[in-house]
Amino acid sequence: MLDYIISKYNFWIYVVLMMIGLYAMIGKKNLIKKLIGMNIFQSAMILFYVSIGVKAGATVPILSGHGHGHVHEVIEVAKYLNPLPHVLMLTAIVVSIATTGVALATLILIYRRYNTLEEDEILKIRKDTGV
Amino acid sequence: MKLVALIAVFMTGALLIYGVEDMPRWGDPNSPASSHVSPKYIQEAIEKTATPNMVSAVLADYRGYDTLGETSVIYTAAIACILMLRKKRKGEGE
Repeated sequence: MLDYIISKYNFWIYVVLMMIGLYAMIGKKNLIKKLIGMNIFQSAMILFYVSIGVKAGATVPILSGHGHGHVHEVIEVAKYLNPLPHVLMLTAIVVSIATTGVALATLILIYRRYNTLEEDEILKIRKDTGV
Repeated sequence: MKLVALIAVFMTGALLIYGVEDMPRWGDPNSPASSHVSPKYIQEAIEKTATPNMVSAVLADYRGYDTLGETSVIYTAAIACILMLRKKRKGEGE
């Protein structure tokens, strides 16, 4: 059992991180905590994709000493990390920044209107005022 | 409520742990993600785009339209934040 966990420990770590984020999103009442949970979830996904691109003994996917686009020797694929997950996660990081920014702005508006960020209190205020 | 959340989270976790069984080992150079299309990018990026950095070659050359769309996502988010947080002038809105 322990060998089984250790052989793929990186995926176990991402699963645990994702569970923390998912629990914060579902179980917590504070909206800021929900947002932080979403960010933890996104970080787990990003780490997962980056770890897919890892090759043992390889280096970052940047060619050294080829400034002008003329390559004479053959490029060994196994010597460079897989660049595609890195590119996709660059995009995902940008999107996560955008969603976090818009969510924080929305939370500021919610706080201005209800003077609280607790979900149950907001729902109670809405029920009492009949909105 | 918390119990329901915990049950849902642990069920999702168990499903994902079940899926981990089929994933490649850490650092496997012959993993599916590294053996189909990515060798082509690693070998041809320098000839086709003259960029030594493969990540930026894929980001800005192969997937240029994707990056353009990404920029529009950031722009939309910035506009949304400005519209939500600006100070209202007198006689406008609430």
